[in-house]
Amino acid sequence: MTKHTKPTGLNRRTILKTSLYATASFAALGAGTRSASAAIDLSGKQMVFASWGGSYQAAQETAYCNPFMEATGATVIQDGPMNGSKLRTMVEAGEPIWDVVDVTDTFLFANEDLFEDLDYNVVDASPLDQTYVHPKGIGCIIWSYNIAFNTDVVGENTPQSWADVFDVEKFPGKRALRDRAYPMMEIALMADGVAPEDLYPLDLDRAFAKLDTIKDHVIWYTSNSAAQQLFVDGEVGVGLLLNGRVFDVNKKGAPVDLTWNQNIRSIDYLVIPKGAPNTEVAQHFMNATVDADNQALMANTIAYAPCNPAAFDMIEEDVLPWLATTQENADKGLLIDPAYWRDNLAEATERWTEWKLT
Amino acid sequence: MFYSARFWGGLRGVINLLLAVYMLAPLVVILIISFSSALFLSFPPPGFSLQYYEKMFSNPTWTRTLWTSVKIMVPSAVIATVLGTAAALALSRMESRWAVLIRGLLMAPLIIPVIITAAAIFGVFRIWGLYGTLPGLILAHVILTLPYVMSTVSANLAVFDKRLEDAAANCGAPPFTAFRRVTLPLISPAVLSGMLFAMVISFDELIVSLFLSTPTIRPVTVQMWSNIRGDTDPTIAAIATVLFLFSLFALLIDGLARRKSGRAPGL
Amino acid sequence: MIAKLRSIWLVLPAVLLIGICFIYPVAWLLQRSVSEPVWGLQNYAEIFTKSIYLGVLWNTVTIAGVTTLLCALFGFPVAYSMVHSRPWLRKLLIFVVLIPFWTSILVRSFAWLVILQGGGIINDFLTGVGLIAEPLELVYNRLGVLLGMVQVLLPFMVFPLYSVMARIDGSYVKAATNLGANPIRAFFRIYLPLCLPGLLTGAMLVFIISLGYFITPALLGGRGDIMIAQLIFERIDEFGDWALASALAIVLLVGTALLFGFVSLLLKLRGKGV
Repeated sequence: MTKHTKPTGLNRRTILKTSLYATASFAALGAGTRSASAAIDLSGKQMVFASWGGSYQAAQETAYCNPFMEATGATVIQDGPMNGSKLRTMVEAGEPIWDVVDVTDTFLFANEDLFEDLDYNVVDASPLDQTYVHPKGIGCIIWSYNIAFNTDVVGENTPQSWADVFDVEKFPGKRALRDRAYPMMEIALMADGVAPEDLYPLDLDRAFAKLDTIKDHVIWYTSNSAAQQLFVDGEVGVGLLLNGRVFDVNKKGAPVDLTWNQNIRSIDYLVIPKGAPNTEVAQHFMNATVDADNQALMANTIAYAPCNPAAFDMIEEDVLPWLATTQENADKGLLIDPAYWRDNLAEATERWTEWKLT
Repeated sequence: MFYSARFWGGLRGVINLLLAVYMLAPLVVILIISFSSALFLSFPPPGFSLQYYEKMFSNPTWTRTLWTSVKIMVPSAVIATVLGTAAALALSRMESRWAVLIRGLLMAPLIIPVIITAAAIFGVFRIWGLYGTLPGLILAHVILTLPYVMSTVSANLAVFDKRLEDAAANCGAPPFTAFRRVTLPLISPAVLSGMLFAMVISFDELIVSLFLSTPTIRPVTVQMWSNIRGDTDPTIAAIATVLFLFSLFALLIDGLARRKSGRAPGL
Repeated sequence: MIAKLRSIWLVLPAVLLIGICFIYPVAWLLQRSVSEPVWGLQNYAEIFTKSIYLGVLWNTVTIAGVTTLLCALFGFPVAYSMVHSRPWLRKLLIFVVLIPFWTSILVRSFAWLVILQGGGIINDFLTGVGLIAEPLELVYNRLGVLLGMVQVLLPFMVFPLYSVMARIDGSYVKAATNLGANPIRAFFRIYLPLCLPGLLTGAMLVFIISLGYFITPALLGGRGDIMIAQLIFERIDEFGDWALASALAIVLLVGTALLFGFVSLLLKLRGKGV
């Protein structure tokens, strides 16, 4: 399990010395485009895919679901937004209505008992960076929590650190932050001056104390799409937003931008809830997401980096600087520690809920 | 000044205007946004476009959920109309003590907050295997719409002269013939009204459907709900417009039927 | 007798359906509220002792109360204006007030979001003309909830008032003023008491419907405006916590029923001239 805690960018960086983790060399090995799923006929069958909604899920529909439906004849029904406690409730009631779910690495590691073991004879995970292959899930994207801002609101003086985001004198008005223990604990500690390398294990007391200082100046969001709208409307000047979500609105012409300073990288996994009704279709679907073409399409649509290194070759030039995995961007941030969260998520979540209510 | 008629007239005008703006503004805004050319939710829109209507009809999620809504609405409205009309007819002939009790029972789903009905039905339907099924949703919608049909028809029966039917029966017409020839034509506008009411209620219903539906069997309102909570996709405005046009259409048919039957439109 | 029997057969299907698919489930809910996780009243005790739940109950009652008050304050002049308008205008006003019945609450709540948001129409306008520098917080708070709810519930206040006012003979008030009472006195001493039955019916309807309200507060409110219905939904949908959810539902049911009974009694007593 320790291999997951290691910032995997580091060893690659020293070996490849390129601006990307993965380079053409991987693609040259031929691990790239496969169409294994094309051979299987699943017409008449269906499955439900649950993810985080908005532009992200729309991108997944384009990059994963549509190619899969075309190739196999199966129907993929979209649902969401993903909600951790709801997922737990449906699995515990023995009636999950979701077949494939997009979860953060943090959630997966803290809730391994909720998911089916994958049959790696059906899901061919060999093209993936093996760091992102878990017995119960496969990585799909690498992304980051970023400091985001509306340039019309903040003007020239853009926030440069989480300490800036927490500075209500420098940035009056509301800020948008995620209503969840992770990554708010990390963010609060960095805002309080803790160096990224000293974050884990997290000092929760210190984090909550820091959060107390801005409690009344925050719009807490639970949906990334809603957060996008907050930034687009200028309802908040600064705050937290995912790199792909910033890319999405920026590309559509909104005055929203980000800084890579103190970004927190994380990986999303695809998993199958225990007892899901269509596990067979689900695994074939997951197999299709591994495809380099599909992962590249995903990156080009919403700037989330692929877990299949061969896909990097097909990413457009102007999207590259938006990826959380470029050397430059990775150097400015850190990788979230799912191993820490596996042991502490339940407790931190309880404290978080309590803190929100008081 | 209190005695000046002009003052009071002016004040009334202001109140009427305020009322119109307050009640109509949301509708107008939705209508305008649904034709926006902007990629975000923005007002006023930078230009005119049909993109959101195109999106609605090309996105399988919206077409499927709209179709599911229809598949729930039609059977539930028909069943509610038949059962509700029959109940209203029966109650109009019953002893008042029993009629009051039964009427109270049948009206209960209208009086009790829907969230309670939704939670209760969800709990029991899950045990019965009706959760996430079309029959389950149809049944639930019948429960919710039946009171509307019954009260509409009952109100009509209250002014309807029962002696007409008795006269027909006395003239030797078998009960069913008397019903078909005399009663039914007289109450049919109310029955139609009740059915249209049931259809509109079913099509707009959210709370019970929210509990009972799964992603595979999901009416359009539930899809809208999850989209509004997660996204601010202006496609919602296009769907909202369609929903409103449907209600307006039902209202229009109802008005026409009433005019034809020579009855004043009810409130 | 035969006709009577036939009547029973006619009403039986509806009664059976409501009995099996509605009354039984509600009874089942009641049973769960006192049997989960063990038999007893512990779930109710929790609701009435824990500050979170008391807070939600308080929210529910105050939001319903303020909504009722606002509906009355706005509905009264509206109903008055309706009664004293020319027929064509009256018809138009009735249509306008009835619009909510023909558009889904979901659609209207979405529209309010668009209008009230930070980047919404009102704020854009106000910042545009330079009246305000920072967008006002009009939504995701109590104000948003009230604006949305009053719009939806206004008809339930206006129509009972309208039907009472339409029957009031204007000559009473005129007589009072002719006898020298000042118009304000005449209004409070004569007109308002005559409208009271309508006001009471309207207030009861609005208040009771508000208590169980779900969609509007969920979409337009913030975390501090959670009402009981939303809590019931979240407890079941997110946490599968039937024990608490069912107890909350029964609390809402009993509250609604008590109010309903109380006001019906009041109206009946007034009707008898007591």
